[in-house]
Amino acid sequence: MSLSTKEYFIRETYKSIRRNGFMSFASVSTVAVSLLVLGMFLLIFLNTNNLAKYLESQVQITVYMQDSANDKELEAMSGKLKALPGVVSVKQVKKAEALNRFKERLGEQENLLSALGTENPFPNSFEVQVDVPERIKEIAPTIHQMPKVETAKFGQEVVEHLFSLTRILRFGGIVLVLFLSFATLFIISNTIRLTVFARRKEVVIMKYVGATDWFIRWPFLMEGMTLGFWGAVFAGAFVTIIYSMLLSKIYATLAFFPLLPTWPTMIYVDIFILFVGTAIGALGSFISLRKFLRV
Amino acid sequence: MLLMTDVSKTYPGGNVALKDVNIHIQPGEFVFVVGPSGAGKSTFIKMLFREVLPTTGTILVNGVDILALKPREIPYMRRQLGIIFQDYRLLPDRTVYDNVAFAMQVIETPYRKIKRRVLNVLDLVGLRRRANSYPNELSGGEQQRIAIARAIVNDPLLVIADEPTGNLDPETGMEIMQIFSEINENGTTIVMATHDKDIVDSMGKRVVAIEKGRIVRDERNGVYGYES
Repeated sequence: MSLSTKEYFIRETYKSIRRNGFMSFASVSTVAVSLLVLGMFLLIFLNTNNLAKYLESQVQITVYMQDSANDKELEAMSGKLKALPGVVSVKQVKKAEALNRFKERLGEQENLLSALGTENPFPNSFEVQVDVPERIKEIAPTIHQMPKVETAKFGQEVVEHLFSLTRILRFGGIVLVLFLSFATLFIISNTIRLTVFARRKEVVIMKYVGATDWFIRWPFLMEGMTLGFWGAVFAGAFVTIIYSMLLSKIYATLAFFPLLPTWPTMIYVDIFILFVGTAIGALGSFISLRKFLRV
Repeated sequence: MLLMTDVSKTYPGGNVALKDVNIHIQPGEFVFVVGPSGAGKSTFIKMLFREVLPTTGTILVNGVDILALKPREIPYMRRQLGIIFQDYRLLPDRTVYDNVAFAMQVIETPYRKIKRRVLNVLDLVGLRRRANSYPNELSGGEQQRIAIARAIVNDPLLVIADEPTGNLDPETGMEIMQIFSEINENGTTIVMATHDKDIVDSMGKRVVAIEKGRIVRDERNGVYGYES
């Protein structure tokens, strides 16, 4: 492709987008909205997955004791836990300490605890660290059956729930994205159809003077790709802004929550959005070209 | 240049447009195709640039069997042809210059070659001074001259014209024919369908008459032969 040919394509594409001003605007907007939703879903999905992985990698079991357990029994419990295979450390958390920790976490809202009076609702507990995450499933049932144990909690239980949530998200996301992709495809192919119609005389003359099929198709294909690309640029910008705002909000209240950071996550999401937008644009015009441009 | 052998065309629905047409046109010839309306002239002309395909028979253009071409070879075959219509078919949103340059752009001619060649051709049809005008600012005769410029700008071997003077007054029609004569004198073969008795009779060229889909007359230095 020579330089003047490329120039020619770019000029024609630009001219055509301007001529179809309103439809071009409508196409870019639809692509933007669709990809915005796609981007949001992608972020929710990525974060849920990340959270699940984070919890799965935890090597800690928290063992809550019944209130009836006395100091001697707690002492014995600590020894039993240490004797379990793969246990690295056992830390006893007394009722008073648990309450203090909770106070710290509440910070300024500490006075909420005054409602409890002198009562301390926190149980005695042990924080048991194991060597590898896989160990937890082995020893958790054993711990459960030890005397005076109320319950033994670990991350994997939540992980199961999270994974079923990811499955639902994935399915719902795919359905929604498919639906939106079809809407986007439809409107882009419609725009290109109008372009083809507006330029049908030109196309006929091009054929008569011996333009190749691909020479005739390129400007239309480029128009669709340009529309898709710009829609994606807007969607990408919006998703990035929304996510970084949301993240700073969440961190302000839930600092320990393991969310994916804005960078580099958004770089991948934005690249994905740009790729999908341009591809949908190309596919949309291709559909129209096949149907309406018999070259 | 052109060799048609046993060409017939039956349109869907059984309408027979051409029947057993055989014709041989030498390079550099100027051929008028005449005949009553609906005789098959238009079908004949359209077959030359593969707009209409015959039902049976073969067509060789410059030695190439144009019916055996693969779809992607058709554009290259058309680059050897210049096609001119009764209704000019210029692009209204482009200047005279751009209308002619368009034909060179779409076959990917390098930029620097386009300008010189387009101005040359506009000189040939006498419209260089109107290069920046738009088609609707020109008379019918001028528009047809632009269409001719566009048809010959890529140096075709064969120029195909379908009633090129049909929308023009007799005097303007004669001016147009003057341009065709010049093109022909430069060695380009011309096949022209026409209804214009005066033009055919004054030019003294080969005349092929088609009636009811058959060639009924083929004469050197022929005349129109119908009441105009």
